[in-house]
Amino acid sequence: MLETVLSVSDCIALVNQTLEFAYPAVVVEGEVASFKVSKQKYVFFDLKDQQGVLSCFTMIYQLRQPLEDGMTVRVVAQPRLTAWGKFSLTIRTIQPVGEGSIKRSFELLKAKLTEEGLFDSQRKRPLPVMPSRIGLIASVESAGYSDFLKILGNRWGGVEVVVADVLVQGAEASQQIMHALSHFNEQPVPVEVVVIIRGGGSAEDLAVFNEEPLVRAVAASRIPTLVGVGHEIDTSLCDQAADVRAATPSNAAQLLVPDRQAVLSDVAHKQRYLMERLEQRERTVRTLVDATAVTLLDAMQRALRARQKEVVYAVGILKQLDPKTVLRRGYALVRTRQGTVVNRETPVTAGDQLTVELNHAILEVGVQHVNKK
Amino acid sequence: MSTKSEPTLQEQLAQLDTLIAWFDRDDFDLDEALQKFEAGVKLAETIKDRLATLENKITVLKERFGQPGGGH
Repeated sequence: MLETVLSVSDCIALVNQTLEFAYPAVVVEGEVASFKVSKQKYVFFDLKDQQGVLSCFTMIYQLRQPLEDGMTVRVVAQPRLTAWGKFSLTIRTIQPVGEGSIKRSFELLKAKLTEEGLFDSQRKRPLPVMPSRIGLIASVESAGYSDFLKILGNRWGGVEVVVADVLVQGAEASQQIMHALSHFNEQPVPVEVVVIIRGGGSAEDLAVFNEEPLVRAVAASRIPTLVGVGHEIDTSLCDQAADVRAATPSNAAQLLVPDRQAVLSDVAHKQRYLMERLEQRERTVRTLVDATAVTLLDAMQRALRARQKEVVYAVGILKQLDPKTVLRRGYALVRTRQGTVVNRETPVTAGDQLTVELNHAILEVGVQHVNKK
Repeated sequence: MSTKSEPTLQEQLAQLDTLIAWFDRDDFDLDEALQKFEAGVKLAETIKDRLATLENKITVLKERFGQPGGGH
């Protein structure tokens, strides 16, 4: 070995090979110091404890949560010697550890995404009222999954639930959830809503739902989203990026579909209403018919009375014209022997025999003399 | 998923609402009302039957979402 002369770069490569063989990955926990981002691309910081300091390097896109000095983080990293001969950890994954750091990271990201308008209420889309096809992103082993399906089944029927079975905690969870989300978004016939659920857990378990890429993916989904993560007291940034936030997986099922009992009673109510309206309309029509009949009867009676008066009047006139009435007034009806009534054209000469009808007698008379008038 | 020949529950509920709205109109024909009433009652019964018997269908995707592109 001592006889081999290495170039500087070969020496660095040799050390790196050795390091890679001995420590393909190390998990280190420490406090972040001297955090800085260069050219909006490269991230440099130190990881320190009371006795030592390690330089760290990563790319900005690998940061899932915001970091700042003073946070405690756990990194999975590969130790290596840089071209400048400096020992450094190349970070693969990094996550805040401990309540304080998780909370701080959460607040930083929340402030940043709020500023960007990712959680604005005007971005929220309504969910379909009665979805017939939904995409569900969950771990099929989880209690949250069982709770969701149980409540969904109790409340409603006829929904096709397409499940993407993913990890919902740990380093790989956010990647899996994002892949599932893009899977649903890329289908030629997309589901009507995507539901992401996970039951309760520790702050570190639920931290997945505060990772920036996942929060952005939820906000960017073309399909409306419903997110129900953790218990009622937990709020995640994914919740806030979703179109609708549910407090728990069970609550997600409640928000997603109507309650069949409520709909059944509504349908029964509508059925009764139909019956009432029909009866009411029938009553209206009947009243209308009755009223019309009364009017008709009135009109007929009025017409009848008018006709009766006309008849009485006509009879009066006719009575005046009756020859007997005329005779009663003192006039006489004069006929020839043949029975023809004598008028202007009848030739009457002296010596003719005529019959004169009076009211009370018929006289057979002889004409003595004719004086022309 | 619903097909054209079988209306969804939501569509049937909307139909029921349309029938009810018809009964609130001013121009009203008793013969037509009887037909609409019978259709309404039949529709309500169908909806109730469906609500009582419909079950959700659960399909777990075979895709693994572990690796990039695993969801495709």
